[in-house]
Amino acid sequence: MSCLLSCLAYVKMYLHSCLFPRCSVNGLLLSSSSAGGAVCVTDCVPLLHSHLPLAPITQLALTQVKEDLRVQEGDQKGRREPGCRRWPNRLVELLQALVSRVPLPVLSPVDFCRLGTDCCPFLSRIMLRQWEETRDIASQLLESGDHGLLVDFDGHLDDITKDWTNQTLNAKIAELSSPANGSI
Amino acid sequence: MASLSEMYDVGWEEMRDKLRKWREDNCRNSEQIVDVGEELISEHSSKLGDDIWIIYEQVMIAALDCSRDDLALTCLQELRKQFPDSHRVKRLTGMRLEALERYDDANKHYDAILQEDPTNTAARKRKISILRAQGKSTEAIRELNEYLEQFVGDQEAWHELSELYINEHDYGKAAFCLEELMMTNPHNHLYCEQYAEVKYTQGGMENLELARKYFAQALRLNNRNMRALFGLYMSASHIAASPKVSAKVKKDNIKYAAWAAAQINRAYKVSIEMSYLDSTFHCFYSFFFFIGY
Repeated sequence: MSCLLSCLAYVKMYLHSCLFPRCSVNGLLLSSSSAGGAVCVTDCVPLLHSHLPLAPITQLALTQVKEDLRVQEGDQKGRREPGCRRWPNRLVELLQALVSRVPLPVLSPVDFCRLGTDCCPFLSRIMLRQWEETRDIASQLLESGDHGLLVDFDGHLDDITKDWTNQTLNAKIAELSSPANGSI
Repeated sequence: MASLSEMYDVGWEEMRDKLRKWREDNCRNSEQIVDVGEELISEHSSKLGDDIWIIYEQVMIAALDCSRDDLALTCLQELRKQFPDSHRVKRLTGMRLEALERYDDANKHYDAILQEDPTNTAARKRKISILRAQGKSTEAIRELNEYLEQFVGDQEAWHELSELYINEHDYGKAAFCLEELMMTNPHNHLYCEQYAEVKYTQGGMENLELARKYFAQALRLNNRNMRALFGLYMSASHIAASPKVSAKVKKDNIKYAAWAAAQINRAYKVSIEMSYLDSTFHCFYSFFFFIGY
């Protein structure tokens, strides 16, 4: 199976591993795929950097991401207030989902040290559109210290005022990768 | 480029005190230690007195962490000149070799230290770290168990062993290590919470009930521990949902889960209000700054 990694997904994976150079990290790759075609990974949600093999926080993180995506789909049909926090309103649904028997997605390890075609055993080919520009964006954000903007789910639990959806960082990456910047 | 002291308007005493605080708190903020320490060493070494040696050690270890071999070697050479026969300095030499992935040479250094002093725990722990760095988890676990048979009070070693067992998915043994830690550190909420997570991961009704109890204990010790709050909710809810429990147990656990949910709800509402107040304060601050107050 082939996989097309978007700039946003790659840069966030890269920055997550750079933010915690001494730990194993994991995250969720969000994708859309057409039947029989390549998997298109459009985004990445950094999850944990500690105690990866323990269940409770993984279960919580996956459930929250799923709920957030479900709400986003609903929001696209209506108007969404910028910067609104939906947590208190949807808490009941989220907590109910936590204890329901929700099948987990397939988790696949990815070796960030070898982020190339051999980094993931489930994929035969990983493609990156405009690799040079993507790599430049990742390096630029790292050198400017903007990898500190990234918040993973573990970081959110340490300080719940931090946004694990990384809206600020997403906007920065989108700005750098926009055609106006002579990029992608 | 401006120096740190110019950028942040701090004197060498503040930089020295900052390094001392990070040493005492055992912080692993290596990039900051390198930035502050490098400037202190290069421009104010004559003012530091005997503190210079411990600062060299601290900066050297931080430099290894940041792949700054140039700075690490500079610090090591100064320490070697001052303390030529010191085992502590030899251990630092070994650590530099580890950073360069020359594990065989590093092991020879540590073996030499242990030959002269078999009770040197630091050298033994470095040998175990080498096994871990090489991915030899089974050997590392075996060596660490042998180490703990002799040095049973070493909490750092117990914690390291629990991490190794967790990575190997041997949750029973990880729980045993965390029990040892909780006995010697009964007020540490993080050990309680980690123990509860291990029990939850093991699964089964008995383990879930233990998990719930230890999540609750972690909350008693620190009521802001969000992981413990969520863990309490999840474990209590799973117990309440089980068909095997009695009506009383079901009712009690529904109550615990409801309490945890309310606390989580409250914590997020407060965090949103604080974010709003923070952004409002910044708006006001910007406004006053703009109009020249």
